[in-house]
Amino acid sequence: MNLRDITADKLVSLYQNRDLSVTEVIAGVFDEIDRTDKDVRAFLTLCKDRALEEARRIDSKIAEGETLDALSGVPVAIKDNMALRDVPTTCGSRILEGYVPPYTATAVERLRGAGAIVVGKTNLDEFAMGSSTENSSFFATRNPHNFDYVPGGSSGGSAAAVAAGMSLIALGSDTGGSIRQPASFCGVVGIKPTYGRVSRYGLVAYASSLDQIGPFAKSVRECAQVLSIVCGFDPYDSTSADVPVEPFLRDIEQPLKDVRIGVPKEYFIPGMDPEVKARFEDAIKVYEGLGYRIEEISLPHTEQAVAAYYLIATAEASSNLARYDGVRYGVRKGGESGLADMYRKTRMNGFGKEVKRRILLGTYALSAGYYDAYYLKALKVRTLILKDFQNAFEHVDLVFTPTSPTTAFRIGEKIDDPLSMYLSDIFTITCNLAGLPGISIPAGKNAAGLPIGVQLLGNHFQEALLLRAACHFERAFC
Amino acid sequence: MKITEADVEYVAKLANLEVADDEKKELAGQLSSIVEYVEQLNKVDVSSVAPTTQILETVKHAVRDDRVAARTGTADAGKTVKYFKVPKVITER
Repeated sequence: MNLRDITADKLVSLYQNRDLSVTEVIAGVFDEIDRTDKDVRAFLTLCKDRALEEARRIDSKIAEGETLDALSGVPVAIKDNMALRDVPTTCGSRILEGYVPPYTATAVERLRGAGAIVVGKTNLDEFAMGSSTENSSFFATRNPHNFDYVPGGSSGGSAAAVAAGMSLIALGSDTGGSIRQPASFCGVVGIKPTYGRVSRYGLVAYASSLDQIGPFAKSVRECAQVLSIVCGFDPYDSTSADVPVEPFLRDIEQPLKDVRIGVPKEYFIPGMDPEVKARFEDAIKVYEGLGYRIEEISLPHTEQAVAAYYLIATAEASSNLARYDGVRYGVRKGGESGLADMYRKTRMNGFGKEVKRRILLGTYALSAGYYDAYYLKALKVRTLILKDFQNAFEHVDLVFTPTSPTTAFRIGEKIDDPLSMYLSDIFTITCNLAGLPGISIPAGKNAAGLPIGVQLLGNHFQEALLLRAACHFERAFC
Repeated sequence: MKITEADVEYVAKLANLEVADDEKKELAGQLSSIVEYVEQLNKVDVSSVAPTTQILETVKHAVRDDRVAARTGTADAGKTVKYFKVPKVITER
């Protein structure tokens, strides 16, 4: 069964009314994956046996007349940088070969606690470093709308799995746009919550001051539902925020009054694709039609965001990835010739090109003589970017931009030019640097049939407002 | 600032990475263009700006009582492997 035409709450009510059995639906999902994933290649690992076992367990609960949980029997896919007990976590890297976590990430555990069934682990750029999913050490994922194009990244497998109807929900992680940009390229909804909203226990760290987990789905409503399940304090993550989680679904359809949306003038960059610009301008008109007040705002340090990001993220990555040294995880090379040699040989063989490039850049930015000029300066520019948003949020409630300056690019187009790949994140990066929640919503397609996404950003912990405004747009636009 | 092949070699050593000779030239070129790009930060006056290392300092982050409360016991860890074999990490001078 393809999941393109059904939503999570509809599916659960069909189960509850015994119109569909969970086992037949989950079996159907794997048939669909068999048919579709040979082209899309979204999954690294499938969890067929355990998924069917869980499906049978829910079916017997239904037979006994039990009331189902919010996501009972709903198929979900998990980006393969999150731990699921007894299933390999690869991070798209050779260096973790053979690693099987003995525990489950909190976000995944909470979804499973609400009844969701994990169908598989999805492909990603190695250690979430990339914008196209081409940096996976195993294979590139393709955009379900056109197999010659990338799905975006780094959570490209998760976005593609939902877009192709191989899963209803997926989890991704977003450090500089890794949920929102693939959501935009694949024509689905993707949200990065406020920094600290979702526990990162069991998420493999890339850049710890930026990383955040969030969901993909076909609709804003489903994202809101998943978010109200996965958000919230977790004693296992010292950066998890102890802030109350509102039931995001409750008022999502209710109209909003006097909401001001700021459109930053700095986002109209010369490199923006004219079709993206046109759809974004249409999207602004949709909000005007809904009674929102649109105002031009200025975020003056936008131009410096990519530079600040690639110093901060790579510096943190160079530290986080120091643990992959052949002692604790997966691959080990050169163990016979001494410790230092083993470290270097293991890392040379285990890491792919982009990961090495980022470790080198981050190490350089942190090294003696360059720390002040690069890393410290980037941290100061980060303060200015945060201040830009704080100033903006004194006048507006939300900020509205395209998600990416272009639609999906061709496979291979940017792989040998890392700088041009980095610049494809230009609209999503500021949100991570400022720790804000951001959502990408589909806003039509270009003439070639590739999806275009628009992005709403909210102030810290304002997910409820963000989701409501996104939901209104989705209703009005479709 | 131009990154030379010698710089690549030096930074690789700091990062415990080994870079093949044919990779050094390519990396030096790519890192040079990235470093030249990030040097646009020099255009910004940050003389009176404090650095941001954590975005939400107002939020009370998670702390728990200092009691042993393992979510994953050693018995669970041992399910995937029978024993942990590590290479010799202490060497004689």
